[in-house]
Order: sequence, then structure tokens, then C-alpha cells
Amino acid sequence: MATPPDSATGPEPDPQKESHGWKWLLSTPALLVLLVAASGPLMIVAVYSFLSPGNVGGVEWDFSGDGWFRVFFSRDIFDPENVSWNWANLNVFWRTISLSLQTTLICAVLGFPTAWFIATRPPERRALWLFLITIPFWTNLLIRTFAIQELLRGNGLINTILVATGIVDEPLQLLFSNFAILLGMAYVFLPLMVLPLYAAMDKLDFRLVEAGYDLYASRVRVLWHVILPLVKPGFVAGSILVFIPSIGAYVTPRVLGGGRTMMLGNLIALQFGQGRNWPLGAALAMVLLIIVMAALVFYLRAVNGEEGKRRG
Amino acid sequence: MSVEIEITGLGKIFGQGAAAFRALSDINLSIGTGEFFTLLGPSGCGKTTLLRVIAGFESPSMGSLKINGDEVAAKGPNARPVNTVFQNYALFPHMSVAQNIGFGLKMLGKPKAEIDSTVAEMLRLVRMEAMADRKPSEISGGQQQRVALARALAPRPRVLLLDEPLSALDLKLRKEMQSELKRLQGETGITFVFVTHDQEEALTMSDRIAVMSAGRILQCGTPHDIYHAPTDRFVADFIGDTNFLTVPVAALDDQGATVTLPGGAQAAARLPEGMRPVTGEEVTAVIRPEQATLAEPGAGDMDGVVETSTFFGTDTHIHLKLADGQGFVLRRQNTADLAAPDPGSTLGIALGAGTLRILKD
Repeated sequence: MATPPDSATGPEPDPQKESHGWKWLLSTPALLVLLVAASGPLMIVAVYSFLSPGNVGGVEWDFSGDGWFRVFFSRDIFDPENVSWNWANLNVFWRTISLSLQTTLICAVLGFPTAWFIATRPPERRALWLFLITIPFWTNLLIRTFAIQELLRGNGLINTILVATGIVDEPLQLLFSNFAILLGMAYVFLPLMVLPLYAAMDKLDFRLVEAGYDLYASRVRVLWHVILPLVKPGFVAGSILVFIPSIGAYVTPRVLGGGRTMMLGNLIALQFGQGRNWPLGAALAMVLLIIVMAALVFYLRAVNGEEGKRRG
Repeated sequence: MSVEIEITGLGKIFGQGAAAFRALSDINLSIGTGEFFTLLGPSGCGKTTLLRVIAGFESPSMGSLKINGDEVAAKGPNARPVNTVFQNYALFPHMSVAQNIGFGLKMLGKPKAEIDSTVAEMLRLVRMEAMADRKPSEISGGQQQRVALARALAPRPRVLLLDEPLSALDLKLRKEMQSELKRLQGETGITFVFVTHDQEEALTMSDRIAVMSAGRILQCGTPHDIYHAPTDRFVADFIGDTNFLTVPVAALDDQGATVTLPGGAQAAARLPEGMRPVTGEEVTAVIRPEQATLAEPGAGDMDGVVETSTFFGTDTHIHLKLADGQGFVLRRQNTADLAAPDPGSTLGIALGAGTLRILKD
């Protein structure tokens, strides 16, 4: 028969466990910053979205669902009973999601060969190429965006060359279009796609590529069946990093899209500024938050679901 | 036996100008269909480069490479009837064992029914039926090795290339896989080209061995020839244990040479083809440790003073010092009542008839 352990001396003091009592304190500065800078303002925005607009901006402290109502619907000015969809806002939502998806796609298509190029350089040269990728971050976003505006303008560089060489008769309308916004956003967010893709390729075992060739796969099929599945985590991370800031972009669509091709960020700014309807702006901001959260959940579900299936 | 791989005047140079590195020089090789052929040499000797040239991962800088009569030097790996078992297996981590094995057939565009039946057959062949749906990360190293073999054999290549496939396995598993490889080769009849730095592995498994050093093939022959008739100092040194004796030539005749051993006795030694030393010239003569036997002092071909002896179970290695100071190792078969010789005692060494060979320098 086994003898029970001698318990006369009592349980050994566990130094790890003991220190747990106060170690959480170490995280308080970070928690405070999050509380003050992230959760706090978010709560304020959430509360504001259910209040009434003040006359010159700000809010009146009485409850109203009008802000949320006006996100999706509009009333006829002369006949308030006549309610219809707010197509202006819904169009902005659609444009925002569509442009963000297109930006993500463009960054993925441009980022893959770029990251591949860097990952296949000799190791001692890769740091230099990665360093070059970060150069755009050296200047202010606004300045870079105005520089693109300068390129695309009616009498800007591109149109001047096109007209001078006789390719077109009169300057093309490049600025203030979806094209201009896409160009600007793809340019700004491309490094956010390249870096995680590079990280994934850096870990790629190139013998697997050789094994693919050896087993009668052509280059295209090695890319499709071996390389792409293995760098997928890089695509997932890069897509999240590009899609989320694209959804909330403000500067790029403001400078390159003008007043007619607004994105959600500009619409929100409009409500807090000229529109003087803070509750509507707050409700729109909450909609933006919901879109981002939905996109993330969708994305993680898609990725994890597949993992689960493969493991199962 | 028909010729499967014909290599003529093949060379490979990496880099250019001052940084150029000659990895392979003047390789001439003919490998027969169904042969178990081994490329043996120390790391950096070019054996893996030669294998990669045959596989198509490297293109030769010069020379010709024919597989089954077709010149393939300019063809990519996917256009050669050759598959490789990689050193670290290189199994696709995102595919199951069965998908890995079926990959080559899928890329060849075979119908699904044929892929499924071949995969099942391969799984049986390497005894991995129970693991078909596992991921490579979920099976052991030895099992990954079997899957890598099955994956390379599934498309029925004319030639299977194996790049040190057993080096990552522990000793027991390695022995097991060695006989497994021989069995697979017998069952499939496919030509195997095997790369290893392990001379024992090469001797036990191969039909023929090519010993390589510094990008050249030094000797190519059966394990028996390579072991018993090395033509080159490097080969004699690399394969097994060898005693090298520097001795003067005493006389020459039609059969070979007579050399003067340390201590003054004379012994016949075989000469390699094309070598005619002059009388009095110092040459290198070799003899394997197990080809000499102990005798009473003065009764052998030469005497030696015992320095150390090491017990190996089946035999004992006795290190002796000869009259002129040269070292000599003798391997004596052990029996239960044989005691180890005392250090410092003098013993006679008898060389077996016809065992002493002179090497080209």
C-alpha cells in the first residue's frame, strides 16, 4: 500500500504562484493607456450616437435614434412621413468596402513578386531591400499624397507627357476618381503586404520547391500547389493589415478622391465638421467599427475553419 | 546490362572569374539499368552536386548527360524520368501522406482512379497504410523517410536519386532502412543512385561505388574491388582502415615488385597498372589491418613493439611500432582465452601472401 505523502510540513510555498498576486500591476500602465485612449473615446462615440445634434456641433443630452436612422434612411424635407433608403450613404459604404477589397487585391498581386524577389536575394542583401521598402514611411503621408496629386492633375506630369507626345488630345480626368484613390492607397499600404509576405517566404523551405519540380510540376503548378499554400499565412496577415486601414482611410480619398468620391472616413469627418451632426457621425463611426469587426471575424473563421478541416 | 545513365566529360563550375569554384571536373560515368550505384566521398567532394546535376537542379557547365539514351543536360527536373529522395525528405507540410505520394502522378495528369490505386500500392510497399491521412508533422522521422521514398517511387521513375537519405536516422533505424532500400530496389527494378559519406553503408548496399574527392571520381568499382584493390591513396585511406608503409623497392619482375620491409626482410608487393618504379625508389605500400597475423618474434616478415591494444569485442586492434619507427595496426580475431598482448613486448608480424600493394602517388 502506498503511504500518503507526509503533509505535516504543509504545502511547499510556490514562489511563482505567490508572485502572481502583484505581477498584474506591471500591466497597469498599458491598461490605463488603452482605457484612456481607446476604450474611453469609443464609449463616448457609442453614447453620442444615441444623442441629439447640437445647433453648432456637439450634442444635446437627450436620447434619440435619429443618428442611427439617418445612417441608412432619409426623410423627405417637405414630407417627413416619406422615408426612403439613404442611397448617398449606402453608396459610400459600398465604395469603401469595394475600394478596400480592390486595394488589398492590388497589394497582394504587386506584393507577392516583390516579396519573392527579396526572399530570393542572398541573405546579406535582403536587409538592404527591406530597408528600401520602408523608404516611403520617411515622409509625411499628406506630402506623399499631394505629390501623387501633382502627378495626376489635369496639367500634371502624366497628362503633360501624354498630351505632348500626342497620345491623347486633351488631359485625362485622372484625379478625383476611384482610380486615383486606388493608386494612392495601394502605394501607401503596399509595404504592409510585402513585409508579412516576406516573413512567410523567408521561412519557406526551398527544397520543397525543388521537390515540386522534381515531381513533374511546371513552374506555374509549383507556385500554385506548393508556394502559395505555404505562404498563405503571410497573405492572411498582409490582407488584414491592408484591408483595415483602407476601410478607415481618410487622407488619401480626401486628397485624391475630392468631394465626389468620398469614402467612409471622409463622410464621418464631414458630419463632425460642416455637417454639424455629431450623432450621425458617431453612428457612422460605429458602422465602420462593425464592418472592420465583421471582416476580421469572417477572415479568421475562413482561415481557422480550414485549419480545423485539415487537422480533423 | 543496358546503360541507364551515361555521363561524359561533365564539369560544373560555380561562380565566375576569381570567385569561380570547380565543383565537378571531368566526370565520366556509366550506370547500368537496375544497378544500385553509390557516390561515396567526404562532405564537399561534389557527390551531392553530381546528384543535383543528374536530377536537373543544377545544369552542367560542360559535358553530356544521357538518361536512357536521351540527352537531358538542358532539360528541367520536371522533364526527366528521375525522382529524388531528399536528405531532409522535403515532404509537403500542407498535404497528407497520401497527397504527398500522389503529387507526382497528379502533376503527370494521371486519372484519379490510377493515382488512388498507385498511392495505395505505394503505402503498402513502404508499410504506411495506417498513416495515409496523417500530416508529415504527425509522423516520426523514420516514417517520413518511408513516405519520401514512396513519393519518389510512385511515378515509376527510371532512376531514383537518394541524397544521404539515412543520415538523419538513428543507427538501428538506419540499418532497418538499409535493408528496406535493398528490398524496394529488388521489387521495383529501378536504378538507384545513392549518395553517402558513410563507407560502411556504401560497401554493404552497393553494386558499384564511385569514390569522389575534390570534384573528381578517383575510383569506380565493386565494393570488393574498392576495398581490396584501391588504386589511390585517398581511396585506400577513406575506405576502411589501412596501414601505409613507406618502403624502398628492392627488385622488379614481371609480376610486381619486391620491397624491403622495416627490419630488412623482403616481401612481394603488387604494382598498380602503368606504374614502373626504379630499384631503390621509395614507394607507398598498403595492407589492411586484418590481412596481417601475429607470429613469434623473428618468425614473421617484420617485428614490432606493442604500444597499445584496444578491445572491440569481436577483435582487438593492436598498435605496433616497427623497427624504423613507422606505426602499424594489426586486427586480431578474439577468442575467450586470448589475452591482450603486453605493451612493450615485441611480436612478429606475418603479412598474408599477395596482400601488400603499392599505390600510385
